[in-house]
Amino acid sequence: MDEELPYSLHNIAELGHEDRAWHIAWNPTKPLLASCSADKSVKLFTYNHDGEGKLNFILATSIPTGHIKTVRAVAWSPSGQTLATASFDSNIGVWEQELDDDGNPGEWECASLLEGHETECKSVAYSSTGTLLASCSRDKTVWVWEVQPDSDFECMGVLMEHTQDVKCVAWHPTEEILASGSYDDTIKLYVDDPQDDWYCCTTLTGHESTVWSLSWSPNGKYLASASDDKTVRIWRRVSEHAFKCVLVLEGHERSVYSVSWGVGKSDRENEASLGWIASAGGDGVVRVWDLSVIPSAKLVARLPAAHGVHDINSVVWCPRNGYEDLLATSGDDGMVKVWRIQEV
Amino acid sequence: MSGTVFNPNPTVFRSSSSSASSRKLLAAKKSLWINESQPSFDQSMEDDEEEAIDQDEIFDLIRNIYDPEHPNTLEELHVVSAPQIDIRENRVKVEFTPTVPHCGMSTLIGLSIRVRLIRSLPTRFKLDIVVKPGSHQSEHAVNKQLNDKERVAAALENPTLVKTVEDCLTGRA
Repeated sequence: MDEELPYSLHNIAELGHEDRAWHIAWNPTKPLLASCSADKSVKLFTYNHDGEGKLNFILATSIPTGHIKTVRAVAWSPSGQTLATASFDSNIGVWEQELDDDGNPGEWECASLLEGHETECKSVAYSSTGTLLASCSRDKTVWVWEVQPDSDFECMGVLMEHTQDVKCVAWHPTEEILASGSYDDTIKLYVDDPQDDWYCCTTLTGHESTVWSLSWSPNGKYLASASDDKTVRIWRRVSEHAFKCVLVLEGHERSVYSVSWGVGKSDRENEASLGWIASAGGDGVVRVWDLSVIPSAKLVARLPAAHGVHDINSVVWCPRNGYEDLLATSGDDGMVKVWRIQEV
Repeated sequence: MSGTVFNPNPTVFRSSSSSASSRKLLAAKKSLWINESQPSFDQSMEDDEEEAIDQDEIFDLIRNIYDPEHPNTLEELHVVSAPQIDIRENRVKVEFTPTVPHCGMSTLIGLSIRVRLIRSLPTRFKLDIVVKPGSHQSEHAVNKQLNDKERVAAALENPTLVKTVEDCLTGRA
């Protein structure tokens, strides 16, 4: 058996879809968790503390979306007011809650439908200021859209740098740098040239197979990537646009589908700590690693069979203050589960 | 079993019969191609989940898949065989041999094998479907596509492709 690990993950909610649950996103400002599924819907779960300090999750609404195929990814805008969906039907949906006659929030309506990708969309993400939206697809492109008033979107660039299916996009936490991961085994970074257009400034190689997921460190100096090669790689920024792979985290026995970098312990006693990385994938095990500046990583928690025998498709730390110890996972069993990490 | 030394390796099952446990598996999963009337649901089906599954049972599930281009099964064309199936705990690896190294139907054949197994096997099994090493000129590319869960899921939302796969599974050309 494994040696004693200092933390364990406790289940605090189990919520479900009718079919495989692909992706989850925590609303950054409100107590809402969004999940999307092969059942073509997006479900929003609300959470609150009951009188006794227990956190309760309940289904707030199920949005039928109108996508005609799987909804593969969801992303909230930084304001928490808008939700974007990426679907296998090749479209990106942008959703907002309409206010009813009394000014109360009502149904979620499609504010905009972004068409243009030629094949399945795999991922969508808002930049840290919320002014830009990125999407990617099996058509090998990454699109950057500018968010304008009245839910209008202007395409700022169609980036055709990858040679294969692009699996994920992730914006830097503070700067306008976009990262994308692909079936071509590379990670590409893009910035905007004020004189010109968006362009690819860096390509990170090293993974031996598809890059499924990316997550920036909260301080913006590192990038974590999860791959079909069963590893998670940590890349450190060494200059404005240059990154170096400084760590390879092993242990997963099958593809790693998702990685999420959270702030870690909220008491900032450990200055050298870079936060916690959670990773999960085809082996059904959630692993939590404590990263420190050296750079080094220590496995601090391991949860086998988080979704029984099923693959875990997504793992995400809650970004809200006061909830940094919450982790959500979604799996092929259609379930969305919420966990709290606690010291043993 | 006679135990005679002159026949140490029993011949592979004849095409007309299939192992009893794979029949149970098929019935339990209520898969599409079983036409017989609904078997009475036996509570011990649940226990079957934990019984070991062997190469022959997996082979029984895939031997009758039809080649997309010829009126022959994968068994008849020697595309699949029991020895090319590896089972280790909850992981099944099926190697298949395309009939020619440039076979453009390889991804379709691999996908059909995967669909048949997903529908028949208990969900605890992880499936790896690969071409026999050295048997295809784009071996790595074919293997990667066949084992990319997201690509497989998206392919199975394509009605035309699904119909083609169903035709391979049922033998309707």
